[in-house]
Amino acid sequence: MNNPQTARLNRWLVISGFGFFALLMFTAPGVVKMVVLSALLAYIFDPLVTAIELRGLGRTASTCIFFLFVTSACWILFLLVSPLVMAQLEALRTGVSTEQTAGFILRLQAVVRKNFAFLGLGNVDLAERIQEIGISASGKIIDFIVEEGPTLVVYAVAVPFMIFFLLKDGREIKKALISVVPNKYFEFSLDLAYKMDVQLGNYLRSQFLDAVTFGVLSTIALWILGVKYFLVIGLFAGLANLIPYVGPVAGALPAIAVCLFDTGDITKVFQVVLAFVALKLLDDSVIQPTLVAKGVNLHPLLVLLAIIIGGEMFGILGMILAVPATGFVKVVFQESLVTLKKYGFRED
Amino acid sequence: MNATITTLMHFGKRDKKPRFRDTLRSIPIFADLTRRELAAIERILHKREYEPGERIFHQDDPGLGMYIIESGRIGIETDDAPDNVGDLGDGEFFGELPLLDGGPRSATAMAKTPCRIYGFFQPDLFSLIERNPHLGVKIVLSLASIISSRLRAANERVEEMRRLLEASKKPAPPVRKKRTSRR
Repeated sequence: MNNPQTARLNRWLVISGFGFFALLMFTAPGVVKMVVLSALLAYIFDPLVTAIELRGLGRTASTCIFFLFVTSACWILFLLVSPLVMAQLEALRTGVSTEQTAGFILRLQAVVRKNFAFLGLGNVDLAERIQEIGISASGKIIDFIVEEGPTLVVYAVAVPFMIFFLLKDGREIKKALISVVPNKYFEFSLDLAYKMDVQLGNYLRSQFLDAVTFGVLSTIALWILGVKYFLVIGLFAGLANLIPYVGPVAGALPAIAVCLFDTGDITKVFQVVLAFVALKLLDDSVIQPTLVAKGVNLHPLLVLLAIIIGGEMFGILGMILAVPATGFVKVVFQESLVTLKKYGFRED
Repeated sequence: MNATITTLMHFGKRDKKPRFRDTLRSIPIFADLTRRELAAIERILHKREYEPGERIFHQDDPGLGMYIIESGRIGIETDDAPDNVGDLGDGEFFGELPLLDGGPRSATAMAKTPCRIYGFFQPDLFSLIERNPHLGVKIVLSLASIISSRLRAANERVEEMRRLLEASKKPAPPVRKKRTSRR
């Protein structure tokens, strides 16, 4: 730490920085979302850059090489996937059309008219209603893309930019933050920061790996079952798996919907449901115990509350980020208490 | 005039860096490092400033690493010898054992004058080993060599004391009484 006056000034600067960040959470949640997302991704990718550094390169060069590789991979993926996504959106927009689907809807309509007439559904036209829902949903997706397009572009530019600098200068940023801690708490803070770094890094990386594994397995399962749009649905299932309880169901729903409206084949729907149940069991019994860090066990009620609060504050992204963020807070408290006990500050 | 030109020529240059690098090189742990390696070490050091009377660490605190004194005087004391075990000054270092074992501090270190010190900590050393094993191994070997020479010195001292103890236990040879010749 520098001389007392500079130290005090630095401390106030950091406190003001945190205060400003808290203020931003309520006034510009988009910016906070961007920063949190970038920080989490930078954390996840940090070991890869370190692995490149092992070849004898500097941090900046390693970060550049990593970015070059990731950008190329993303670009190739975009070129491969974007025509497929556009085709799927177009298919959704034109609505349900196959004969099998129409037959299935007619059968379903007869059942609904017969059994739910007392609810005023005696003359319901299901085909029309489903088409309306489909058109309205695809319209909403297109509206979202048009309305949120500029924001998405800002995200596409700002997030990689932030990740780059967090990866390149992350160590210096951590060092600068530690440097403003008063001398009395310096070693304690440093010890705490290192422990949190290890715990949090393991937790976030394992969550990410779990999501990727689940996504890849879902894609393979859907491909074997011959479900259309298996790639997009599989990727979505992997991402949704980050949200406990809600995620697996949310991941399976699009696959079920596609099966119903594409083929109308109930057997296939059962196969898809079975595949997702089997994958979830595999995830819970094999993948998660192997990959996910054991140190951060969150109580189900806490997870549920975190998801609801995250969703209320930041939408779907908030729901996805809620669990890692809660894990972060738990690690901070847990490690603070352990380290505090170890140091047991005494009066000088 | 010359002074002004020199000042202008060095404007914006960090003239303290080379001096501190020399200090680093004078420390046995970093003595064999190249300029580039020393620069890598400098990047992971934590600079701290202490006022007289301020504690750097307390005896029995968990140890995290060592400190190198750039300027100032540091007093080392233990609970058994509160009247100062020793004083350390510019270019000297202390608390290096926790770099290897992370064990508790064996003494208390306190600033006696305004001090500027640099901390070198175990987690940074581990991280360095991870991304630059060549440099990491060099430092660990130097540390091991310092500790082994201290162990050897301690062994010699123990041996010397043992000899002294044995010598003190041996019964003293009977003193011969001088015969006084009767003439």
